Amino acid sequence: MVTVSMKVNGKNYSGEVEPRTLLVHFIRDNLKLKGTHIGCDTAHCGACTILWNGEPVKSCQILAVQAEGADLTTVEGLELEDGKYSIEQESFREHSAMQCGYCTPGFLMMTRYLIRNNPEMTRDEIREQLHGNYCMCTGYQQIVDAVQDAQRKFIKSRK
Amino acid sequence: MSKLSTQEQVTAHSESSFSAKNVGKGVLRFEDLKIIKGIRGYADDIEFADQHYAAVLSSPYAHAKIVRIDVSKALQVPGVILILTGKEIKSLTNPMSSRAATKSPTSHYILAVDKVRFMGEPVALVVAKSKYIAADAVSLIEVEYEPLPVVSSIEEALKKDAPLIYPELGSNELIFDHFEFGDVNKAFKEADKIVKQRLKIQRYGSTPLETWNVNAYFDKTREELLVYATDQQPGRTVQSVERTIKIPASKIRLIVPPVGGGFGNKLAIWHFVALMGLAAKLCGKPVKWVQTRMENLYAFHRPRGFMDAEFAMRKDGKILGVKLSDWQADGNWPYVAALYSLIKFANMSGVYEIRNLSFEYRSVATNDPPIVQDRGVGKPFMSFVIERMMDIAADELKLDKIAIRQKNLIPTEKMPYTTASGEVYESGNYPETLRRALRLSDYNLKREEQARLRKEGRYIGIGLAEGIEPGTSNLGYYFLSKADQPDYNGAGQMSTVEIAPDGVVKVNMNGPEIGTGHVTTIAQVVSDVFGLEPSEIVVDASFDSTLGHLTYAGTYSNAFNDVYIGAVLKASEQLKNKVLSIASSVLKEPKESLFLKEGYVCKNIQTAEKLLSFKELAKISYGRLLSFPKDQEPGLKVVAAYVNPTAKPFVRSDFNVQLTHSNSVHVCYVEVIPENWNVKILDYSIVHDAGKVINPIIVEGLAIGSTVSGIGGAMYEEFVFDEQGINLSLTFGDYLKPTAMEAPELRIEMMESPAPNTVLGTKAVGEGGAITSLAAVAGAIEDALKPFNVRITELPVTPEKIWNWIKQSNEFKRISGGVR
Repeated sequence: MVTVSMKVNGKNYSGEVEPRTLLVHFIRDNLKLKGTHIGCDTAHCGACTILWNGEPVKSCQILAVQAEGADLTTVEGLELEDGKYSIEQESFREHSAMQCGYCTPGFLMMTRYLIRNNPEMTRDEIREQLHGNYCMCTGYQQIVDAVQDAQRKFIKSRK
Repeated sequence: MSKLSTQEQVTAHSESSFSAKNVGKGVLRFEDLKIIKGIRGYADDIEFADQHYAAVLSSPYAHAKIVRIDVSKALQVPGVILILTGKEIKSLTNPMSSRAATKSPTSHYILAVDKVRFMGEPVALVVAKSKYIAADAVSLIEVEYEPLPVVSSIEEALKKDAPLIYPELGSNELIFDHFEFGDVNKAFKEADKIVKQRLKIQRYGSTPLETWNVNAYFDKTREELLVYATDQQPGRTVQSVERTIKIPASKIRLIVPPVGGGFGNKLAIWHFVALMGLAAKLCGKPVKWVQTRMENLYAFHRPRGFMDAEFAMRKDGKILGVKLSDWQADGNWPYVAALYSLIKFANMSGVYEIRNLSFEYRSVATNDPPIVQDRGVGKPFMSFVIERMMDIAADELKLDKIAIRQKNLIPTEKMPYTTASGEVYESGNYPETLRRALRLSDYNLKREEQARLRKEGRYIGIGLAEGIEPGTSNLGYYFLSKADQPDYNGAGQMSTVEIAPDGVVKVNMNGPEIGTGHVTTIAQVVSDVFGLEPSEIVVDASFDSTLGHLTYAGTYSNAFNDVYIGAVLKASEQLKNKVLSIASSVLKEPKESLFLKEGYVCKNIQTAEKLLSFKELAKISYGRLLSFPKDQEPGLKVVAAYVNPTAKPFVRSDFNVQLTHSNSVHVCYVEVIPENWNVKILDYSIVHDAGKVINPIIVEGLAIGSTVSGIGGAMYEEFVFDEQGINLSLTFGDYLKPTAMEAPELRIEMMESPAPNTVLGTKAVGEGGAITSLAAVAGAIEDALKPFNVRITELPVTPEKIWNWIKQSNEFKRISGGVR
């Protein structure tokens, strides 16, 4: 067992893990943050997407020990301090961009990254950027709508 | 059912006091408020104290004898508390039997006993104190196999000397049957042309992003098995688990939390509920099993197969008769063998008048993995066959593809229409759906554009399909093939509605919520009964077998809109009636003068004078029993069951497989790129008629989503096996799903032809896209490849297949200058 320490959603955590423990298992089983999901085990589906120092990563492909000292954000960290929904959350809800919702946390994290790093994306570019996140329910149309809307809201919030 | 009795239904339901205020509105889903915070509460998010974990050892062979299993090393791993193999299973459990097939094997258990029949079949189960230890121990189990000859195709399976999947049956043919309606021979004699084609379907399937989960705990103090599972059909699971592991159904509490996608894939989970239930009982610890994605891809797909179709055509395009011969490789899962074929009766005639029809089918056991009732079951392939045959007939008769359809569409004045086999199309306007789709898709403009672009050397195609989307299974038809009395027939559900002691209206539809918006939809319906806002209704998103349910409770067969809404509405109206009776007695006001609004019993429609709050009413009804009316029973809780009244009992000459029939037209516009033979969908239009729509946002989302799942089946998805039956598609790197990059932008328009035989006029919506899209996509690609003279008779249409079809053509020689 080894001790790992990291910042998750602004709070410092440390825990005892076997060195082989996957980061996604550490988040779900040790930290009990159940919003990050496992969908494929092989980095294709993106249900486990979190932000690592602001960059999206698939937490099923990373060991918890690799995240020593990292600053992570999971879906539980999106909500604002006053309990208001974030731009990404609002856009996904307003556009009904989910059905079973199992993929949604991964899409929300990817959206947070995309709108901050490439706010001028076209619809086709959004589709390309989302190809590492699978949704088996919606057919993606409302998800693309939601990301576009989040883009607009983000740009507006900066003005 | 005759036309008359349908009309009687209309009268019966119009007497309901229901008035729509929130029904029909695009209310944003309440489910989403939890989902966007990551607190939906899926099965894997739930943990018992002292939680233990299970892992499964799967067979690496498609067909082999199990010579020896040695678990001694695995048992020595610290933390391992239980290992089960076929030996224990054979002594402790009953084998599973067929639901529809006439022959039932006696050797198929929830873990392989003596023999494995498909790659991925569970061979052993380990329970340990962590998921990592369980996986370690699985890898230390030693199994000696003796490979057996693999049966991988229908043709091989039916050979006289074929190795038998179930030797006790004496044959790999699990069922063969033949039906004939009208005078098929006469139709074929009178035909100007017989159009014949064999059409094939590959193995593919839905892959919900949440895999199967079971978490079981046997509580010794109550002698009760408590299970959380991602189960789409929990009512039936309880029955099957009782039969298999011999725990009485009354001692099984099965809870289904919100499910991360169903699509039918989770209808087969019951044998893992049985396995984990048994393990939990034996080890005394709560046992959680979370299926890996690889395990999810091993098995439980749609079956592969083919159908020989013959259409007897008059030269003007009129269909005189149809012969269909269906061959289905149902793998080895006797439980649902033949279901894919039987369900095809629901849309066998498509949207057309076909009075002379024969259908024969075979369900064949092979070393393919098991099948499950995946989205639409046999309906997508049936629709693919009919609509492809319409295109092929148009080609052979040199007729226009729209004109040949218009010639055969069931005229609106003949609705409700009974098909040759007895299926009742209760509502719909097929010619109008087609007209609107041609308009929505700018069909004529597209034809012009196609001609223009073809001159520029671009390969553009338009495909059109009009499909029936049946919903609400009349389940007894499985037993068309069986002489004995079915466990299930008809279609109904049971739900509970209450005003809780705090005055809040609560609903438990008691079915799994698989992501299709049940919570919001029900809140809309119930709010209208009680004069509340949808947000004020508390709707439970889970199933609990200790609450009122019928034994086939579950979310499947496109039936929510019909029987669950029926049950919820019935319970709501009974409760409302009780509320008004109590209020009338307490307030000493005539019952007819009272109504419900904003959480109050009110009188005087103009002023809506509030007389008694639900909260106060609940206090009286639950606690102040001396001031409670003597002719009423205390409490404000109603459990009601609703049965769709139009399910017919089964006779071979006249039966209805499903009870509602939505319809849609899909128009697909594609370009085939000759550089790499990739297909790009440029435009996709859908006109969808699902009857009365309760929430247009939800319905539109389902129509779009199911269409993209169908596009996956049409262009990308196939489970590929080598000649030894080894599944080569065990990650999403090999089993290709459409991503946001492949999915097209869809245009969608709704029509509403209300069903006369559902309480609100609703019809099915979850499967339609998956049913109708296959032929629309294939038709479009074929149309684009017209210069290459290609006929598309199988799916998925991949670039590799296109290349193989076109490389010998003159057109290819022309454009490539003879270079290969």
